[in-house]
Amino acid sequence: MLGFLLFLLGNRVDELRVYQGASIAVFVIAISSLILLTGYSGQVSLGHGALMAIGAYSAAIARNEFKIPVVLTFFIAVLFTAIAGALLGAAAARLSGPYLAGTTLALAIGLPSLANQFEPLGGEQGIPFDVGLPPARLGESFTQYKWFFWIAALAALICMWLLSNILSSRYGRNWRAGRSNEVAAQICGINMSRSKILAFTLSAGIAGLAGALLSMTIGTVSPSAFTLALSFSILTGAVLSGITTLVGTMIGAVILVILPEIADVVAHQIGSSERVTSNLPGFLLGALLIVTVLFVPNGPVEQHHARAAKRAAKKKS
Amino acid sequence: MKEINRQILVSVSAVLAVFGLVAQALPAQAAEVGVSSSEIKLGMTVPMTGAASLGYNKIPGAAKAYFDYLNENGGVYGRKIRLIVEDDKYVPTEAVAKTNKLILKDKVMALFAPLGTANNRAVASAVNPAKRGVPVLFLNTGFSGFADLKKYPTHYMVLPSYVMEAKVMGEYIKANFADKKIGLLYQDDDFGVDALAGFKTAGINFAVKVPYASGSQGAAAAAGWITKFKAAEADVVILFAVSSATSAMLGVAAQLKYAPQWMLGSVGGDAVTIKATGVPAGVLYNAIGFSPVPATTDMKDEYVKLFSDIYAKAVPGSAFDLNVLLGMNSAFMTAQALKAAGPNPTRKSLMAAIDSKGATFANAALVPAGYSKTSHVGLTGYWVGKFSPTGDLSPIGGTYVTYTTDSGAGAVVKSTYVRPAMPAKGLPN
Repeated sequence: MLGFLLFLLGNRVDELRVYQGASIAVFVIAISSLILLTGYSGQVSLGHGALMAIGAYSAAIARNEFKIPVVLTFFIAVLFTAIAGALLGAAAARLSGPYLAGTTLALAIGLPSLANQFEPLGGEQGIPFDVGLPPARLGESFTQYKWFFWIAALAALICMWLLSNILSSRYGRNWRAGRSNEVAAQICGINMSRSKILAFTLSAGIAGLAGALLSMTIGTVSPSAFTLALSFSILTGAVLSGITTLVGTMIGAVILVILPEIADVVAHQIGSSERVTSNLPGFLLGALLIVTVLFVPNGPVEQHHARAAKRAAKKKS
Repeated sequence: MKEINRQILVSVSAVLAVFGLVAQALPAQAAEVGVSSSEIKLGMTVPMTGAASLGYNKIPGAAKAYFDYLNENGGVYGRKIRLIVEDDKYVPTEAVAKTNKLILKDKVMALFAPLGTANNRAVASAVNPAKRGVPVLFLNTGFSGFADLKKYPTHYMVLPSYVMEAKVMGEYIKANFADKKIGLLYQDDDFGVDALAGFKTAGINFAVKVPYASGSQGAAAAAGWITKFKAAEADVVILFAVSSATSAMLGVAAQLKYAPQWMLGSVGGDAVTIKATGVPAGVLYNAIGFSPVPATTDMKDEYVKLFSDIYAKAVPGSAFDLNVLLGMNSAFMTAQALKAAGPNPTRKSLMAAIDSKGATFANAALVPAGYSKTSHVGLTGYWVGKFSPTGDLSPIGGTYVTYTTDSGAGAVVKSTYVRPAMPAKGLPN
């Protein structure tokens, strides 16, 4: 049924919207990986852009050097980033708060530029990542962007399904227990460092998938695609979505994708210079972040739930 | 938790559905995308902000200045040219997103002068203008790979390739600095790969080669480069780099009183741009420079004169430099291509016009262009000049001696090209 829905959508909307749809799906995955880490297991990461870069590079190298089928390259991206995440998680489990934020921030700044040091990574201009044309049996009118959208949307749906199941399992409960009160959780017999490393590993794996999908939509993997700004916009997206619940991920993802377009329209309305146009999206995003933190700190979805709960309580009384 | 599960699916499907509603029916197909009865839309991506924007952010203003002048004088067959400019910050992801917007949302007829080797490659593979049949006119990059018709059938180069420039430089070095130690600063991407290939063909051996990553071209890096050139005792240092790297290098060299014989590639060798960053003009004195178009200070040249007059009126207070001249020249060539495409231009007829007549288009360059049905190579050579004490480039010996070559193993030869006279008022005829 989902496939049919995707098929209908892909045919109805024009190509730019299809491309934006693919970008939204990529952001949904990236944001959900951060929500899992921060909202559920209570660890901060400012370096998810770097993890995405690891996923993107491993997928591209697997595809270019070893001619591995496209589907498998995404699994490889998940695997390699998860391994990197496990290593990072082992360090992260000993750190908390600002120290962990600092460590991941350093990673976000340092890691992508490492690519400049190694020839096979293609330096600043990066290496191509081509998932190929859509299968011919899908017909002539099935465009490249529709293909991207299908792959990314499907990956997003699978990811969300998997995540929501994991979060409702023992592991999810362990993470939430640890986030609420670490000591209490340990007394209950939860191995906190193992639990934290597991969260980091899983979150990294998902971020790696998002990275591979992102580079699929731009055709190349290069350090400049995984800037600090990307890490921050994912974090912003997570806060806008409501950091403590997966339900709102769409909100953050949609905002991240359409905000530049809105900014563009606004900038053209007021007829401003290029300098304003290119800085307006960042400004709007920042303003939106402040407003969110001030008025709906847990995100719109949680806010809605809290209100609904209040109303229900009132009715009862 | 079942609840959350359901909510996630509902929210995902809801947004996807809204996404479906946003869909607009495609507008009825006009004669050609981006061409209406009153207007032709062109789109351009260029770094307007960010580290690499230095100098190049003047190109859109320059092109617009010419198009506005053209529009005031009747446009092309009555249609006005509208150039939509998008800032890509010299970042490939941005270039892809902005090009998507230009092609899919703004529905431009053609892309005009998009800048940067890495950006153009990313756009070519992700957006794929070739598959969409969108012409990419007069690229602002000299990477020789874009002349590959099989890979880039709708791309048209205009700048001479970096290979050609390195070959012309190589010939000059062999004739004048044969016994000197040569140092080279180059960008570690295709821009540099092209340069190295050209120097290799010319048979130049370097005492030291210093690569830099685009994005790391500040003053701090420049101090490090100078240490390497000093250690190798380079007599001649070639700066085959973008404006920001060239300016950083010359600025730091001035502070450190490091003064080898400089040789500046055309990409970053525009004196006005360099001086605008605070580099003292004296540093440039006697440096060797290369250019395919006349010196920007040469007001006896009819093209330079007219373009600088138009620019001064359109953008008062902005200095007329090499980026401006090249930007206006590309706009002028685009106008001729659109005119040659006939009263009802299509993407196909536009490209056919350049294939058949592009090599004869009037333009400021002093070297021939290589357009034909089997070649989308742009200009094919350079003249060699020296910078004056005030930092202006002028031809050695007072007259322009131009050299032409190809991006392969062909020899560097003196060009006999005679430039077409400027059409009346600088309008396509």
